Amino acid sequence: MNELLDYQYVVCELCGEKYAIKINEVYEIIRFKKITYLHNSKSYLEGIINLRGKIVPVINVHRILGLEDYSDTKSTRIVILRFNDELVGTIVDRVIQVTKFSDIQPTPETVDEINGNYFEGLGITQDGEVIAIMKIDKLLNAEY
Amino acid sequence: MYDTPEFIRAFLDEVDEQLELFEENILKLEQNANDDEIIKTLFRVAHTLKGSSAAVGFEKMKILTHEMEDVLDKIRSGKIKVIKPVIDVLFRCLDELKTLKEEFSSNGNDIKTDITLTLSELHKYMSGDQLLKETINAEINKEFKLDLEQQIQAQQAAASGLNVFVCEVKLKKDCVMKTVRAFLILNFLNQLGTVIKSEPDITDMNDNIDVESISYLLITEFDKEELKVKVLDRMLEIESFNADSFDLSLIHRQPDNGCNVTKSNGYEGQNTNETKNKANQTVRVDIGRLEKMMEMVGELVIEKSRITQIVSFLHERYNSDNSFEDLEEISNQISRITNELQELVLKVRMLPIKQLFSRIPRLVRDLANSLHKEIELVIEGEDTELDKTIIEDLADPLVHLIRNAADHGIETPDERLKAGKNPKGTIRVNAYHQENQFILIVQDDGRGINLNKVKEVALEKGIISRQDSDLLNDKEILELIFKPGFSTSQSISDISGRGVGMDIVRNNINKLNGVIEVETKEWEGTKFIIKLPLTLAILNGLLIRINNEIYAIPVSNVIEIVRLNEKEIKKVKKQDVVIIRERTISLIWLHDYFKVPRKRRNKNIIIVILGIAEKRFGLVVDELIGNQEIVVKNFSSYIGKLDIFSGATILGDGNVACILDVAGIVKTTASKKICDKKFV
Repeated sequence: MNELLDYQYVVCELCGEKYAIKINEVYEIIRFKKITYLHNSKSYLEGIINLRGKIVPVINVHRILGLEDYSDTKSTRIVILRFNDELVGTIVDRVIQVTKFSDIQPTPETVDEINGNYFEGLGITQDGEVIAIMKIDKLLNAEY
Repeated sequence: MYDTPEFIRAFLDEVDEQLELFEENILKLEQNANDDEIIKTLFRVAHTLKGSSAAVGFEKMKILTHEMEDVLDKIRSGKIKVIKPVIDVLFRCLDELKTLKEEFSSNGNDIKTDITLTLSELHKYMSGDQLLKETINAEINKEFKLDLEQQIQAQQAAASGLNVFVCEVKLKKDCVMKTVRAFLILNFLNQLGTVIKSEPDITDMNDNIDVESISYLLITEFDKEELKVKVLDRMLEIESFNADSFDLSLIHRQPDNGCNVTKSNGYEGQNTNETKNKANQTVRVDIGRLEKMMEMVGELVIEKSRITQIVSFLHERYNSDNSFEDLEEISNQISRITNELQELVLKVRMLPIKQLFSRIPRLVRDLANSLHKEIELVIEGEDTELDKTIIEDLADPLVHLIRNAADHGIETPDERLKAGKNPKGTIRVNAYHQENQFILIVQDDGRGINLNKVKEVALEKGIISRQDSDLLNDKEILELIFKPGFSTSQSISDISGRGVGMDIVRNNINKLNGVIEVETKEWEGTKFIIKLPLTLAILNGLLIRINNEIYAIPVSNVIEIVRLNEKEIKKVKKQDVVIIRERTISLIWLHDYFKVPRKRRNKNIIIVILGIAEKRFGLVVDELIGNQEIVVKNFSSYIGKLDIFSGATILGDGNVACILDVAGIVKTTASKKICDKKFV
C-alpha cells in the first residue's frame, strides 16, 4: 500500500460522492461534448467522441458502479484515461482537485454498496476525508 | 552477415519484382524473337538475381541464375536461336526460381527443391550438339520483322524479278563511329537498290551504340557477286560482306502459340525505355509509414474543414476588419494545400493494375496449352490505378475468373467451328475508373452459362429446394453460382471444378466492399463486372439519418436510391420486401436493430438499395443528407469488432458518425432477423 502514498490523485465527483484516480493514468480532462452512440456494443460503452481527430470510446462509470445516471451539466467532464496504450474516456460529474493522501487503507468488501473490487483502496486526506481510489483496469474491463 | 530481416525482405521484394519483369519479357520474346532489347532485359534480370542471391548466400538460386545468364548471353550474341524449346526452358527456369523464392521465404536457406533437371536442360543448350541441330534447322536468313507495307514491298519486288537480299555487313573492330559507318553503307546500298529495313534499325540508333554487324534487307537488280564487289570497292572499314537471298516464306510465319496478346495501349518501342528509367527512380517505403501519413493527412483534412466552418461563421461579425481578411485568405490557402496534399498521399498508395495484369498472359498461355484450346487474350486499361492493398486482394478473384472463362467458358476449337464461331476464343480483361470507382471486367465469348444446368446442380447439391427453384427468376438463378460448393463442371481438373472458385471471388470482393455482377448469354459468352472503391482509407460516403443519428454508407455499395409508397411493401415469409424492376428486394429496418421507433413522416419511405458482392438489399432510412469524402477511422481494440459498423468518421462539424458495414448488415440480418418485426 505504501507506494500508493507517493502518487498524486485527481479527485472527481460522481453522484455527490468523491472518487480518486491516479494522476499518471489520466491523459487529459475535457469538457463534456456530444457522444455518438454505438448501437449494440458493450452496454457500459456510452459511445465515441472526436478527440482532436482521434476516435475515443467513452464509458459510463455511473452505470458500471450502479449509480444514478449522469446528466449533462456545466461541470460535467470527460476524463481521458490511458489504458493499454489506448485512450478511453470516462464521464464524471465534476473534477474537484489534485491531492495526495496521508494514509491509505485496504478496501472493505463493499464501499457504499458498490463492489469493493473496483477500488484500489481508501485514501485518507490530511483533513481526514475518506476517498475511494478507482482501480482503472478493473473498471474498464467490467463485465456487463 | 547479411541475414538481417530487413535485408532478407528487401531481397525477396527485389526477386518478386525481377521475376515479374522476367516473365513479362519472355512472353514478349515469344512474340518478338529478334528484339535485342528484350534479350538484354532478360540478361540483366538474370544478372541482378545472381548478384543479390549471392549476397544473401542463396546458393541454389545463384547457380541457376548463373546458368541462365550464360544461355541468355549466347542468345544475345546470336549463338543460340530463340525457338520454342528455348522459351519453354526459360519458362521452366522462371517457375523454378519462383519455387525457390517461396521456399527461401518460408524455410530460409534450407531448400529442398531440386534444380538439377532444369540445370541439365540448360546445359543442353550450352553444349554443342543441341545447338548445332537447332541452328541448322533454323533459317540462315536473319529473320526481319517487317510491317505490312514492307512485306508487300518485298513480295512485289520478288514477283517483278528483282533480287531480295539479306546483306550481312561486319565492320572492322577498330572502326570508329560505327553508326555513321553503318549509315554510309545504308546510303550506298540505297544507290544500288532499295533498303527495306536494317537490323538493328540504324535510323533509330544512338551514336554511342556499338554495332559490329548490321543486316540490310535490300531490293536490287544486281546479283550477289556484283553487289559484294561494289560494296567492298567503295566502302571502307568493312571486315566482311555477305549477301544471301531472303526467304520470302518467312514473311508468312506468324507466331502460333495458341495465345496472342494484344495490348490496346501498346508499350512497344521507346516506351519501354521510359518505364525502365522510371523504375530506377523509386524508393521503397514501409507501407506502415504511408498508412501513418495517410492518417495524419486525414486529421488535417478534418481540422481544415473546421477552420473553414469557423471562418465563415465569424465572417458576419468581423467582415470589416482587415486582419479578418487575412485570416480568410490563410484559411483558403490552407484548404487548397490540404486538398492537394490529400490527393498526393492517396496517389502514393495507388499503383497501376499492370502489376496484376502482367500475370495474366502467362496464365492464359498455360491454360490454353493444357486445355488444348485456342485463346486470344485482350487486356485493356492496365494503367488504371488502384490502392495497393486492394490490388493484392484482387489477385485471387481475377485468377479464378480467368480460369473459369478458359475452362468453362471457351469451347474447344472443334465445338466453336461447329457453332459457327472463330475457332480462337477471346478473353477480354478490362479495367477503368468510373465515378470514383474502379471497374474490372472479365469477359469471354464462350458458351455462356446454362441457367437450367445451374438450377439442376443447385438442386442436386441441396443449395436450393425444389420449391424455391420455381420462384427464382433468371437473375437469381445466375447468382447461385456464387454459393459455396457450387460447380457445374463434370470433372474436377486442376484448373477448376472444385466449386470453391466463385466462393473465393465473392469473399474477396465482399472484403473489399465491392460489388459483382454477372451477365451471360447462351452461346455468346459471359461477362463478370466487379466494382470496387479506389481506396479503403478515404471513401466517398453517403450520409443518411436514422432516428436523428447520422451514419455514413460507402457510395461504392449504393446501387440506387428509391422512394416508394409504403403500400408497396409486401411480405414474404414475414419479411418485408419490395419489387423493383421485377427484382424482389428484401428490406432492412436498422430501426428495429437499434431499438428505435420506425418513423413515418409521410406515406413515402426512402430506400437505399445496397449491394455487397452478389447480394442486394434495401435499407430504409429517415433522411438523405448527401455525399461527402470521409476519412475512415477504425475502432480501437477497446471497442472491439462491432456487427454492423466498420469504423467511424469525423464530420465537418467535429461530430462523429459511424460507417455502416454493408457486409456486416447482411451477416447480422441473416442471423438475427432484424426485419422480423411487423410494420405497424
